[in-house]
Amino acid sequence: MKTITIDPITRLEGHGKINIFLDNSGNVENAYLQIPELRGFERFSEGRRAEDMPQITSRICGVCPVAHHFASTKALDDAFNVEPTDTAKKLRELMYCGYFIYDHILHFYYLGGPDFVVGPDAPSAKRNVLGVIEKAGVEIGKEVIKHRAYGQKITSILGGKATHPVCGLPGGVSKGLNNDEVEHIKEMGDSCIKFAQFSLKLFDDIVLQNKDYVDLITSDPYQLNTYNMGIVDNNNKINFYDGKIRVTDQKAEEFLKFDVKDYANHVVEHVEEWSYMKFPYLKSIGWKGLTDGEKSGIYRVGPLGRLNASEGMATPLADKEYKRMFQTLGGKPVNSTLAYHWARLIELLYATERCIELIKDPKITSDDIRNPVGKPGEGFGVTEAARGTLIHHYKLDKKGLIDKANLIVATTNNAGAITMSVRDAAKGVISNGKVDEGILNKVEMAFRAYDPCFACATHTLPGGMSFQVDIYDTQKQLLNSFKQ
Amino acid sequence: MKTIILGIGNPILGDDGIGIHIVRKIKEMQDLHENITIDEAQTGGMNLLDLMRGYEKAILVDAVCLHDASHGAIKRFSIHDLPTIHSCNPHDVSLIEALDLGKKMDDTSIPDDIVIIGINLQTLPLEFSESLSPHISSIIPKAIEIVLAELNNVHQHVE
Repeated sequence: MKTITIDPITRLEGHGKINIFLDNSGNVENAYLQIPELRGFERFSEGRRAEDMPQITSRICGVCPVAHHFASTKALDDAFNVEPTDTAKKLRELMYCGYFIYDHILHFYYLGGPDFVVGPDAPSAKRNVLGVIEKAGVEIGKEVIKHRAYGQKITSILGGKATHPVCGLPGGVSKGLNNDEVEHIKEMGDSCIKFAQFSLKLFDDIVLQNKDYVDLITSDPYQLNTYNMGIVDNNNKINFYDGKIRVTDQKAEEFLKFDVKDYANHVVEHVEEWSYMKFPYLKSIGWKGLTDGEKSGIYRVGPLGRLNASEGMATPLADKEYKRMFQTLGGKPVNSTLAYHWARLIELLYATERCIELIKDPKITSDDIRNPVGKPGEGFGVTEAARGTLIHHYKLDKKGLIDKANLIVATTNNAGAITMSVRDAAKGVISNGKVDEGILNKVEMAFRAYDPCFACATHTLPGGMSFQVDIYDTQKQLLNSFKQ
Repeated sequence: MKTIILGIGNPILGDDGIGIHIVRKIKEMQDLHENITIDEAQTGGMNLLDLMRGYEKAILVDAVCLHDASHGAIKRFSIHDLPTIHSCNPHDVSLIEALDLGKKMDDTSIPDDIVIIGINLQTLPLEFSESLSPHISSIIPKAIEIVLAELNNVHQHVE
């Protein structure tokens, strides 16, 4: 048996890689994704002041600090029995829009987009944002940079710091908005709406008008027929910041809708001995292994999971695009993993429109931004991170110190789905032992579509290769090594 | 020369936060030149580049992973010496890619001189902790000396 290892994360060797096992005829027998899982968070949290948790948890991940910050703050609202003021909720959600704007722009143009704009078989040296700009033009590059920065600016105006926010407090936020800031955000938000529309048009022109890409998106190796999960508002429309958790089935019908307080009644985590990662599944369906279909409790979260689990977008332009996507791809649910990219751009448009709705709200400049807290107890918080549903659950002691903390992060919610997608893509594109860079990239594309993020260290990391593939024979002798 | 010293790492992931611990100590020093800014970063790629904009020189202090150096060894690199510098997280581009992008866009706010002071970790932390291991903690004074020498070179150069 030959083993192929795709190791995109040399920093955490042995933990963050894709292992592909070939049978004797060179076809894929199985493939596993291994993701680093940091240990000891519960112990680390124990005895800490609960109000420090929004800052501490935003350090878990260098990518989703805003999502952790607010899932944590919301868990504290609940734990201290306090309802944030109306303005505080709006300010939090507005900041969240800024986060989605920069996060989704970064993914489409810098990470996922190059596969389509430059091409999945293009050499890796070209398959990056520079390749995108080469193809789309320098002027577009400038727009990309500008609007990603706008998203960050909106976040930092509200959050106090560009990357790690400090504004969330139980019962509200620490900082309001003045009129100058409102005008500034309005200007940036308006520009972002146009940019999001442009991005969808670009997706249309480059991806949807290209038959090869449409065939790739709808091809078998990239389909997964799981349940879908996301937060919805009272009208079952997507909301990133608040609402009930809704799960839909393979016919896109509502299967569950629950408050985060009840998450443990509906979601359980399965452990596999080959992985550090846990695999959450729907309790009432059960764990049936890494398989999809209505009898398997595995579900998907993130942009496509959210679009499938909802009944539309709460803003007009995005809702139109939502309908168009489902019409184009054959109705709900859409099961194509590569449609995550399209769903992400529709969410980008929603985030920009929602940003403008919130900033135009007359109450947004109110100084009524915090309510007094009650006695400490148990608290649950849920938000949609850009990459999926994120849950924080704390138990506080009488002094307001953390007694227990449990988190279910977005990429963990997608663990089963990502593993299956990588396996299916590998099975679909590798045959007779033929492996090259373009083929391996098509495996990686299945993984990249989810925009996964791992709890990890953040470094400049000299030395290693960012992507390595080793092929071994049955004697574990290295036969070939791909580096890029 | 307008210089930024950036400590990089995750402060709640044990030795991974060594860069942050080092720059916090430097920040406590009283006699730093007014042209010198000290900051912390738990980010890579584009966000890291944003923090360096507007400076002529950037000194990044970070944990690194080299196979041919001992645990706790301190290494100096120019950004041009490295084959790749990537964020360990898949949701980001590498710093090199971010820099190339800046150049392509004729961005003049990027420092001409980017130096990395790397502290080599052979044991990679996977457990949450705010404290450093004794061995890694013991290299802090030497690392500070090296970072300050880097600054002095700058001043000599200016003079």
